[in-house]
Amino acid sequence: MQVLIYGAGNLILSDEGFGVHFVRHLEKHYHIPENVELYDGGTLGIMVHFKFEEADRVILVDVVQAKGEPGDIFRYEREDIMLKNIPVKMSPHQIGLQEMLLISEMRDAPKPDLTFFGIVAQSLDPGDQLTPPLQAGLEKVAAMVVEELDKVGIELKRKEA
Amino acid sequence: MSRITLDPITRIEGHLRIDVEANGGKVTNAWSSAQMWRGIEVILKGRAPEDAWSYVQRFCGVCTTVHAISSIRAVEHALDVEVPLNAQYIRNIMIAQHSVQDHIVHFYHLSALDWVDIVSALKADPKKTAAIAQSISDWPGNSEKEFKAVQDKLKAFVAGGKLGIFATGYWGHPAMKLSPEVNLMAVAHYLKALDYQRKASQATAILGGKNPHIQNLVVGGVATAINTENIATLNVERLIYLKTLMEETRDFVQKVYYPDLLAIAGAYKDWFKYGAGVTNYMAVPEFPEDTKNTKFQLPGGIVMAGNIAGMRMVKDHRDDYLIKNIKENVTHAWYEGNGTLHPWDGETKPDYTDFKENGKYSWCKAPTLDGKPVQVGPPAQIMAAYAAGNPKVKKLVDGAVSTLGISMKDIHSTMGRLYCRGARAHVMADLALENLDKLIANIGSGDQTYANHTVIPKGEYRGVGFHEAPRGTLSHWIVIKDKKIENYQAVVPSTWNAAPRNDKGEMGPYEASLMGNPIADPSKPLEVLRTIHSFDPCIACAVHTVDPEGAEITKVKVL
Repeated sequence: MQVLIYGAGNLILSDEGFGVHFVRHLEKHYHIPENVELYDGGTLGIMVHFKFEEADRVILVDVVQAKGEPGDIFRYEREDIMLKNIPVKMSPHQIGLQEMLLISEMRDAPKPDLTFFGIVAQSLDPGDQLTPPLQAGLEKVAAMVVEELDKVGIELKRKEA
Repeated sequence: MSRITLDPITRIEGHLRIDVEANGGKVTNAWSSAQMWRGIEVILKGRAPEDAWSYVQRFCGVCTTVHAISSIRAVEHALDVEVPLNAQYIRNIMIAQHSVQDHIVHFYHLSALDWVDIVSALKADPKKTAAIAQSISDWPGNSEKEFKAVQDKLKAFVAGGKLGIFATGYWGHPAMKLSPEVNLMAVAHYLKALDYQRKASQATAILGGKNPHIQNLVVGGVATAINTENIATLNVERLIYLKTLMEETRDFVQKVYYPDLLAIAGAYKDWFKYGAGVTNYMAVPEFPEDTKNTKFQLPGGIVMAGNIAGMRMVKDHRDDYLIKNIKENVTHAWYEGNGTLHPWDGETKPDYTDFKENGKYSWCKAPTLDGKPVQVGPPAQIMAAYAAGNPKVKKLVDGAVSTLGISMKDIHSTMGRLYCRGARAHVMADLALENLDKLIANIGSGDQTYANHTVIPKGEYRGVGFHEAPRGTLSHWIVIKDKKIENYQAVVPSTWNAAPRNDKGEMGPYEASLMGNPIADPSKPLEVLRTIHSFDPCIACAVHTVDPEGAEITKVKVL
């Protein structure tokens, strides 16, 4: 089984870069098995459709504009996205995740299982550091990803401190 | 009179707001407003100049490579560093492949649906579609079976109510004119194009180590280790794979994208009459082929007031006229004062006032060349290459002008802009392969140098890195003081094109291009989208937060 952990975001707009900080965090603190790929996707949208088509299991990490406090984490499955529990236009990029997944379906590409962890941002100002609640979120999301992978028999072990 | 606000309009990145006033079915006034703070240069201050290229790749989520290239050139220009031939060729291949990828995505995924009616494709006869496609290209993928399969898939999506993703498409709009058959052809190629943008992206990754965000630049060259024997470096096997990817992509561009573009342009010939806007153009030469950046494979030039024959050559990246005369004005931008500054002295002091149509109304500064607004992008480069007598560009453009029954001055238009991007993709696909041949020949001759190791010296240095990016001329301006960045400004293509009015009240290219545009239905301003999308709008450095609560982020407001 090929797993893709996709971190989305813009690294120089503080919390907007959470997904990218997150894959870097995993790389630093965890032993990553060969069949798990950490991917810093930046803000590419449709141009990385193939990453989603190639994996058997995708875990997407990004910031969300949801009701809640900075650092609150939300979990969505593919159906939430496809069944419009998340609205059509999710992103200022316009071609967003839902469009990308549907275009892949139209192309008859394989449909990997998809889990999306979204975290509420505190600041989107220029800067390359996360705010404290999002910094604290790194390990919280990591624990959720570890649990997620455990369900499919993949162990993500923490490196010795 | 009606007032239309589209917010945001961008297909890729960023928050671009366009306001137009329409009278008697035509646009009579327009404003272009970047809705996001663009102060990211500020975080470069105090950092090491040799690391700047890595940071600036995050200016934009899409054109990451172009900022890296401009930045490294700025440092090399400041310190007068030579770049070995292998490094130039490797950079050239990455630049050309990135352009090919960018143009494919723009044509099919970011602008085609302004012209192609997906719903109409359901009514097409796949057999007739195949006949049309085969009459314009010998591409092997154009079979009746392929088109039928796409149509069946579309039918299933429509039946399942799943076409919502394309909800921003104005299906059935009176300005949609393609036959169901051509619509089906375009939709099928829209889906197929994704495979080829991916191949172009893989090619960039093979050389760059990673894509997005290439990893292989160093001041003075590239860090791509070359060893024809060693498996871990750029060896013969990798070079052959690279070549295969690039040839497949070239075939797609030349046998699918370009013929599709001509077919669509032929059906929308009236769009060669709208959308000219600012007809001052600027392009810098690209693809250096010596170590000192004095010789280039594609020329640059400045065209003023649409006078292509009177083009002024831009010989190299040390062109004094450009370096002295590129400035930015903030009279109508949300920055302090109303002054005009050279990028080396550039300031980024925000002064937000809300949208004031006669005052400040955009986060975009207004760049000027010798005090005038200028349009950048593929038309500028194609016109410069045409005027300079580049044989390939001349042959393509003359061929299209004759096939479509248009004249050279029709190139100044919405459809002309789309045409030039396709012609540029055609040229880029060939240039990537030419540079690969040159790289292989140079390595074969025994030259395995790929970087001039450079240590940043003490003292003060100023540099500019020019790059002719897919969206147009990009320049990064750096001031280095005692091994640290003292000032950094990026004058990006979208700033030139999306500029608000300047100190003389002259409109920026987006704004001017909308004047006189037809508007059939103010609640569905498809014509505005067509013209703005033809520039490939991409307001650098956008956030892309997912918004599960907000319904439609894009609003069309008609007053």
